[in-house]
Formats: sequence, structure tokens, C-alpha cells
Amino acid sequence: MALLQISEPGKSTMPHEHRRVVGIDLGTTNSLVASVISGSPAILIQDNESNLLPSVVYYSKNTVQVGNEAKDHQSNDAENTISSVKRLIGKAIDDVNQVNFPLNLSDGDGVINIKTSDGMKNPIEVSAEILKMLRTVAENNLGGELMGAVVTVPAYFDDAQRQATKDACQLAGLNILRLINEPTAAAVAYGLDKKSMGQFVVFDLGGGTFDVSILNLSKGLFEVLATHGDANLGGDDFDQAIVNFLNNKYKLNIKDIEVQSMISILAREIKELLSNKKEVEILKEINGKEIKEIFTQQQFKALVNDLIEQTLKATKNALNDAKLSTDQIDGVIMVGGSTRMPCIQEAVGNLFKQDLLNDLNPDEVVALGAAIQANILAGNGQEDLLLLDVTPLSLGIETMGSIVERIIPRNTTLPVAMAQEFTTYKDGQTAMIIHVVQGERDLVDDCRSLAKFTLKKIPPMVAGAAKIKVTFQVDTDGLLSVSAEETSTNEKASIEVKPSYGLSEDNIKTMLQSSYDLAEEDKISRALAETKVEANQLIELTQKALDADKDLLSDSELTSIKNDLKDLINALNSSNNDKIKEATKQLNTKSEPFAAKRMDRSIQKALTGKSINKLEF
Amino acid sequence: MTQNYFELFNLPEKFQIDSLKLQKNYRTIQKEIHPDRFATSTENEKTQSMIKSTQVNDAYQTLKSPTKRAKYILSLHKSVEKITLPPDFLMQQMEWEEDLEDIKKNNKELDQFKLAINKKYEEYSLLLSTQIDDDQNWNEAGITIDKLYFVEKLLHKINIALN
Repeated sequence: MALLQISEPGKSTMPHEHRRVVGIDLGTTNSLVASVISGSPAILIQDNESNLLPSVVYYSKNTVQVGNEAKDHQSNDAENTISSVKRLIGKAIDDVNQVNFPLNLSDGDGVINIKTSDGMKNPIEVSAEILKMLRTVAENNLGGELMGAVVTVPAYFDDAQRQATKDACQLAGLNILRLINEPTAAAVAYGLDKKSMGQFVVFDLGGGTFDVSILNLSKGLFEVLATHGDANLGGDDFDQAIVNFLNNKYKLNIKDIEVQSMISILAREIKELLSNKKEVEILKEINGKEIKEIFTQQQFKALVNDLIEQTLKATKNALNDAKLSTDQIDGVIMVGGSTRMPCIQEAVGNLFKQDLLNDLNPDEVVALGAAIQANILAGNGQEDLLLLDVTPLSLGIETMGSIVERIIPRNTTLPVAMAQEFTTYKDGQTAMIIHVVQGERDLVDDCRSLAKFTLKKIPPMVAGAAKIKVTFQVDTDGLLSVSAEETSTNEKASIEVKPSYGLSEDNIKTMLQSSYDLAEEDKISRALAETKVEANQLIELTQKALDADKDLLSDSELTSIKNDLKDLINALNSSNNDKIKEATKQLNTKSEPFAAKRMDRSIQKALTGKSINKLEF
Repeated sequence: MTQNYFELFNLPEKFQIDSLKLQKNYRTIQKEIHPDRFATSTENEKTQSMIKSTQVNDAYQTLKSPTKRAKYILSLHKSVEKITLPPDFLMQQMEWEEDLEDIKKNNKELDQFKLAINKKYEEYSLLLSTQIDDDQNWNEAGITIDKLYFVEKLLHKINIALN
């Protein structure tokens, strides 16, 4: 008799359409989108047959251009041609060295403003333009609307940068399944392709960011052991070393945006040529000055030695945190266009005393890995792989004397939650402010301010009597959320979050409104359709869960869930958006304990080796 | 309500632990309940998965570290008290710290020092095993845990100096 396959409760047995999902590498210099097609990850081609979309956006009055078209304006309209916007996202004006950007930057409220001929733009909207283009390419290639995307970020991106990236995705109309770290994505593509096992280092030097991650690859599970890096170190800085050299030698005007733009382009050309040639001859006129140089690889190496040392230092730190030595490493994977530089390859090869792995295209490997992960999360693939990643930066709070008290140490496996107890210092105090920072330094000013949380409605008590338990949770996207309760009275304090960077919820809503072209009726019917899909899914999965595991419930619990289920089915028939949402929320919340029990059961079954996936006759 | 960590991983409540089994069971559990497994599922499952996965990570980190594991076992049997280390150990602590300062730049001496401290680490671990698993002597175990904790930190400092 044939084996009947009965799937786990909670996972749909209905054969669903292959969900259209993609992986997106939103890079400093170039961006890519990929999807798993017929079992293999593939980069989706742009219209001009290239795999790479330059991360460049050009604004003119009422028009936006993205990619190569935008790049064409770099030499004639540098002020309005925005490249490397990834170096600005999630930051404030004080965080950037304006000399490095041939743009008009100013302080926005929580963001950096870039002045263009189409008005002020912030890095989130600029990034959204790139994402919109990628989404269009994907939908054209795949023949329909996307269900979701996995977007990559540098492992060393902090909370503000991650949140800003998510905001940009939302503006671009993308449903984010997960943010994943670039080195981890590369490891996924590489590890699955080569079926590698063991301890691996991913050395990821991109245009603007540097990450080094140490992973353990085993069957069905990739675990990040440690990650280090510098979100402000990349190929652009190697270019800058040449720019500085030329500016100094030829006494060029560093305040002239057009001149600096031309020098930047020249510097990049030199760097790239030196990746293949031992020396390069330059003869170019810029602003009336003649630049005549013969650049050698040796010369270049001397100019960028400090930068190389920084990458090696971060690599050693990561090895320390992972408690591994260089000879315990089974392979070193090179990722990012900047790893093509011979001086980098030499330095890393010497450190690990082994040949480096760079047979997968270093420009594409991150997007391919993200596509694989998107496929897994959407439930499409046959691939059974779990990624366990870590938080790259320690999380702490400000205490007396502007000192940081560390709550969650760096390289802790996600998801993680830690609770900390606080108390009041004045009689009758009903509020307190908690300042959360990210970083490894001991002083608050040396760390990155994430947000100030104001706890209100603390029951008034004698000073020191209140026991306020604050729980810090970091999710699998690497994002922080905070909850608080007064434990002696069990009151949940109300929390107001003032993020130090980024757009407020209202800002985002406003930007979303203005970007929709849909008519009002369309908006409403679209919202209703989405609500109905979610409700239907909940109904279907709840019924399946009850079929399989209702023995976990008491009679009253069972009746309660059944009633909520009936209410939701009725609400669906009413076609009233609010009613359906309310009933969905109700059923979701009330069935949480049931979900918890079912998970406990699946854990027990997995540990004792009994899987209900196989019923044999 | 958080479950007993040993029960969660299907392991006996002992200081001596089968590390490979702990790791294997941790991975098996995360493969079942990690949020990635519920990326396109319902809100209730997403929430519970986040909660459970977080608890499992906490439990794993606790049982993985000898000092944390020992402290955890103690917490199951007695309330946490402030431990006063015996004066002769406090003297030894200061001596070791001074020794480390003196030899910080000398890798050869650091290596030797590391060997010696590693031996102490093994000694205290073994002692803890007897005190917890055989004797259930919680008071003595409390003192040994603090000694082990200090030696652990010292080894970390030595490793940093070696690099």
C-alpha cells in the first residue's frame, strides 16, 4: 500500500501555487534581484541584459531615473545623481563625512536630506526607487505580482539602518519575509551549491560596507558563530584613498562637486584596472589641470594599507568571539566586488594560509542566497535549511554617569530576549526614560543611540519600591522591541518610543499615501481583499490544527476557539473590513495558548524521533 | 511558564552533560519552532514561535556554559545568596591578576600560564561535578562556581593578551 503523506498541523496540505518570491541584494554600488526557477537560483535579467542594476538614482523636475540611465548623468549633473545611498540610510548628518559625497546634504528630522531639483529627498525614498525598479524587473520576469521578498543587509548594520531598509521596502510596495545578513546569504548560496560542511569564514567587502562572519555549516542548519565588521568601510574608501592622493598632489578643489565627481570616477577606474594589471597609466584633464600618473599595484597597496589592516583586525576579533583559530577554518568565502583587489586576496590568503574560495561570482552570490532563503520561507522549496543568525552589536542602556550597561551581548543567537529590572528614584514617580544604545564602547556618547523609551503610568509608590521589568527583544530581522511591566502590581506600563533616527510612523504613512496611484475605491477593495485572504488562511489552519491536536484542549477552551472561529466565518460573509479584522485578531489572540501547546508537542515528537510525517501501513 | 531547561532538551539534571546531545537536541528543536518555519503562517503561530524560540535560545546558552549551567542547577534547589569567597582564594585571585599583568607581553610565558590556569579550570569543574551530581552540596557548590567563573574570565583575558 502506498505511503500516505500527512503533513504537520499548521502547515497547509492544500497544494498552493508556487509562491512568487525573490531575493534582493540592495548593494551600495549595484543591486540585484534573483529567484529560484526550476529548483535553481537565478539572477533576473534587466532590460539591457545586465545582471546588475547600478544603485544610482537621478532626479530631475518630476522625473526619476534608476540604474544605468541615472549613471549617465554623473558627469553632467552630479548634484542630482545619487549613488551609494546605502552609506546614508539610517544615519544622521553628523554620522557622515560630507567630503566623501558630492551631494548637497543637510539635516532632516531624524534623516539626512539630499537637495535635488525635484525637492528634498531622504535616503529611504531614494532606496525605495531602486527597490521599485527591482520589483518591476522581477514581476516582468516572473509573470505576475510578488508575494514577498527577502532583502539583504550588511551584518553590521545597526537597528536604525535595518529599520530604514525595511521602511524603504514598504515604500516600494514589497512584502518583506525577512531581512537577512549578506554574509549569511552568501554562505547559503555557497554552502548549498558545494554541499559544504564545517567552519567557514565569509569575508564580504562591498562598495560601502565590510562584514566578516564565521559560520558552522551542517546538514540542514547553518549557524552563525560570530560576526564583525564595519558598516562604514568598503570599496568606496579604497577609491577615496586614491582621490585624496590626487587631490593633494594636483591641488584640486575639494569643494567643487563636479570636479570631485570626476575624480571619484577616475579613482574607481584606476582601482578596477589595477585588479587585473600590475600598473596603469593615466592621462586626463580635469578642470584645466592635467593629471598624469603611472599607478602601480604596490603604490595602491601602500595607500590603502590601513584599510586592509582594519579588515584583518575585524576578522581576528570574529575568530576570537567564535573561539576558533585560523587553522580550524575549513574554507574562506570571498564576497563582494571589492574582494577582487589583489591586495585584499593576498592579505586574507596569508592570514588563513589557504586558497580562497571565490568561484561563485562575488557580485551575485548574495542575491542568489537571498532567493534560496525566500523560497524556503515561502514554503516552495524542497530545501530543508534553517539559518541561525546573531545580533552583531551589543545592546545596552544608559545608566548613571553616561555609562552603558550591556543588556544583550554581541553575537547572541537570535531571537533573544533579556529582561532588566529598574526602579524609581523619587517618591510617586510615574514615568521614566530609558535610553537604548548599540555598540561595544563603555560610554554612551561612543555608542549609537537607538531610541529613548518613555515608560508612563507607573503606579505611584515610594522611591525604590516599584519593580519595573523591561524586556528587550531582538527578532530574527535584528530589530529591537521593548515591553515593560510593573511586577509588584502587574501593570503593563505604556511605552512611547522615540527613535533617534528614521521616519516616524506618520511620516511613512504620508509617503505611502502620496506614492499610490490607485483611486480611492481601488484602495478600499484592495485592502478588503488582503483582509479576506488573511482571514481565510487563519480559518483553514485553525480547522486543521483542531483536527490534529484538539486533545490538547480542555472542553471550555475548545468551545471558546470554536466560537471565535464561527464569529470569523460570519464576519467574512459580511464583507466588512473592520469586522473581519476584529474577528481575525480575536481568534489569533485567543488561540495563542493552543499554538504554544502544539509547538511543545511537535518538539517532544521531534526529540523522541517520532515524526507524524510518516504513517506506514 | 518556562519549562525546566533539562526537561526541554531531554537531558538528565546534572552538571556533567553530554554536549553533543545538547547541541543535537537544540538544533532539532529550533528546526521545529524557529520563526523562519512560520514566515507565511498565522499571527498566533508567529508570536508563539518567537516566544518559544527565544526561550529555547536562552535555555541553550545557559546549559552550554559550565558556570551558567551550575548556577541554574543551584537555582532549582535553593534561592540565590551572596557568596563570600574564602580569603585564601581572594589572595590567589589577586596574585593571578598581578602575574598576568607582568607577563602580558611575553607569549611564551603566557602560554605556560594558560596551561596552568586551564588545569585549575579542569580541577574546579571536576569538583563541581562531585559537589552537584554526587553530593548535592549546594553551599560548597556555590563557592566553587564563583571560583570557576573567575578562572573562566582569567582565561579569556589571557587569550586576548595572546592575540
